[in-house]
Amino acid sequence: MSIFIDKGTAVIIQGITGKEGRFWTSHMKDMGTRIVAGVTPGKGGQRVEGIDVFNTVSKACAETPVDASMLFVPPRFVRDAVFEAMDAGIKKIVTVAEGIPLHDAVRIRKAALDRGAMVIGGNTSGVISPGKAMMGFFPYWIERVYRPGNVGIITRSGSLTNEVTAMVVKAGFGVSTLIGVGGDTVPGTRFAELLPLYQNDRETRSVVIIGELGGTMEEEAAELLTAGKFSKPLVAFIAGRNAPQGKKMGHAGAIVTGGKGTASEKIKALRDAGALVAEKPVIVGELLKQALKIQNKRSQRNG
Amino acid sequence: MRIFEYEAKELFKKNGIPVPVSALVEEPSELEKVLIDIPGPWVLKPQVLFGARGKAGLIKFADSKEAAVTGAEELWGTGRGIKKILIEEKIQVQRELYLSITIDPGKACAVIIASAQGGTDIETLAVSGKKDILCEYIDLDIGIMPFNARKTAYGIGLDNGLISQYVSVVTSLYNIFEESDAGLVEINPLFISGGGRIVAGDGKMIVDDFSLYRHPEIAVTGERFEDDLEYEAFQKGIPYLKLNGDIALMCAGAGLTTTVYDLIVDNGGTVANYLEFGGPNYTRATAAMELCLKSLSKVILIVTFGTIARADVMAEGVVKAIKKLKPKQPVVTCIRGTNEEKAEQILKKAGLIPLKDTEEAVRTAIELANC
Repeated sequence: MSIFIDKGTAVIIQGITGKEGRFWTSHMKDMGTRIVAGVTPGKGGQRVEGIDVFNTVSKACAETPVDASMLFVPPRFVRDAVFEAMDAGIKKIVTVAEGIPLHDAVRIRKAALDRGAMVIGGNTSGVISPGKAMMGFFPYWIERVYRPGNVGIITRSGSLTNEVTAMVVKAGFGVSTLIGVGGDTVPGTRFAELLPLYQNDRETRSVVIIGELGGTMEEEAAELLTAGKFSKPLVAFIAGRNAPQGKKMGHAGAIVTGGKGTASEKIKALRDAGALVAEKPVIVGELLKQALKIQNKRSQRNG
Repeated sequence: MRIFEYEAKELFKKNGIPVPVSALVEEPSELEKVLIDIPGPWVLKPQVLFGARGKAGLIKFADSKEAAVTGAEELWGTGRGIKKILIEEKIQVQRELYLSITIDPGKACAVIIASAQGGTDIETLAVSGKKDILCEYIDLDIGIMPFNARKTAYGIGLDNGLISQYVSVVTSLYNIFEESDAGLVEINPLFISGGGRIVAGDGKMIVDDFSLYRHPEIAVTGERFEDDLEYEAFQKGIPYLKLNGDIALMCAGAGLTTTVYDLIVDNGGTVANYLEFGGPNYTRATAAMELCLKSLSKVILIVTFGTIARADVMAEGVVKAIKKLKPKQPVVTCIRGTNEEKAEQILKKAGLIPLKDTEEAVRTAIELANC
């Protein structure tokens, strides 16, 4: 079993008839993702890539059991689409849209917390378990990045994830599940909420966090480690050590506000909690080997 | 998007938050009338978007008209791009409080942050270990209830006589926050005047960029940006920061661009501009390079590792941009991702050296910049 998505996960696509929706539905299917239905208001009755399209999520759910929803919906309609999915009882939702209004993002996360649902994104490439399934748009055909294996990856970035994961694969590892939480100020799901899933995942032996300046997600991950709630080897890379003060570095969430969220504070918090932090992507693979060695010694001592 | 103090205070006034009597002046000829209309003494506040005006000596106090005129002339003459000055009546201050509303991303709520200690900035407050700071969380879908405001008022130890005024200020400020899709609204200091009135001494507001489409009332003009090029880039939808070093970054992906920035500084180089043309912008190499060429630089460094962005499309775009714009400075390329072999051929054919490794690209750029 992987985290969040596996070969058996029944996925619907909200916004399946759009250009992006069509294109990535074909790729998700091609990779092995089990797509059971599509939803676009007004397009009910059509078929896309051999998949039935419904007008509403609840109608799609009435026709077939659904585990998760993938949204290819423009940012200003994301709130409505996420609430529609939650209203139909769906507990796993991925939204890739960049530009979701801040207060919409807050309302989405609050509703998800209240209902025990998990919303991944926005502003992300999504979730992928290489060799099994994906919800999002990953170039899974790039073998030097998306190789199946036992390293869990959680990230705030897209391109940087390719850069870092290529180093993980170069060192002889592969990926169990990669989850992009996204680059926004209020991601639907936070690092510290994902780590316990990796802790319980038998296919994951270690985790790499790809963070950046801004916010407090990396610090929360460090707190989880200190509290002993995550005990697998953890390696991190944090971008923005040299970022100019008070500037937004591309992502909406990549800015130091209220004196909080510098990359150096994050690096210190993670190191203090026992994680190994790479100064640059190229050494992530090496640190991963080190972290696994430390873990082995520890378990020998305890065993 | 940052909102000017005078705009924030207009919103405050409209929503029933007391503000000092004030007028906005843009040139010396307007001063005389304003100094008659508003009784002295006065405070002169330049309308700029950088913080810590007080510390920089840019807030002037004047007891006489002559002092006010001199003060205004000094502000206009600072060379810091000051155009508009807000002239305010000087409030007799008994106490200064702190009040702001922002988002707590973890709790997914709005949070009212209040303190009986005003005047210092939130950075100092945050570092001070949250002593004397009160946080009251509001669910956006429920909105503010009177008890939230009362809890805040009593929580910071206000006297009974001030509670109802304070409750009204907090409630109005929350409504402004909610209706403007703000990321932050802050009144610091919030005055208690000698006469026992609560008055907004300052007004800081940031409206979420992704929500601007719902706010046609906020004109996105050049004066909201620190630099004309940053304004131009914003209009083009390309994340861009003007800096003053040697190497112009034209990379794809925010995290990767930030990492390249780190590596350049680590290796002793300097950055001319931060520019990220990934995601939906990956076909816009020419627009990106045009921006790069407007900041002085010795090298253009292109690093990408596309997710949706195809490497061959980016390489083609870069070659086209070079042909059209003919940059004088060398262009270093490290373009990877889907169809990277094809990208390599395209770059080679155009006489460029396609590098594969980010660090190698960074070192090459620094060497060229030092030539």
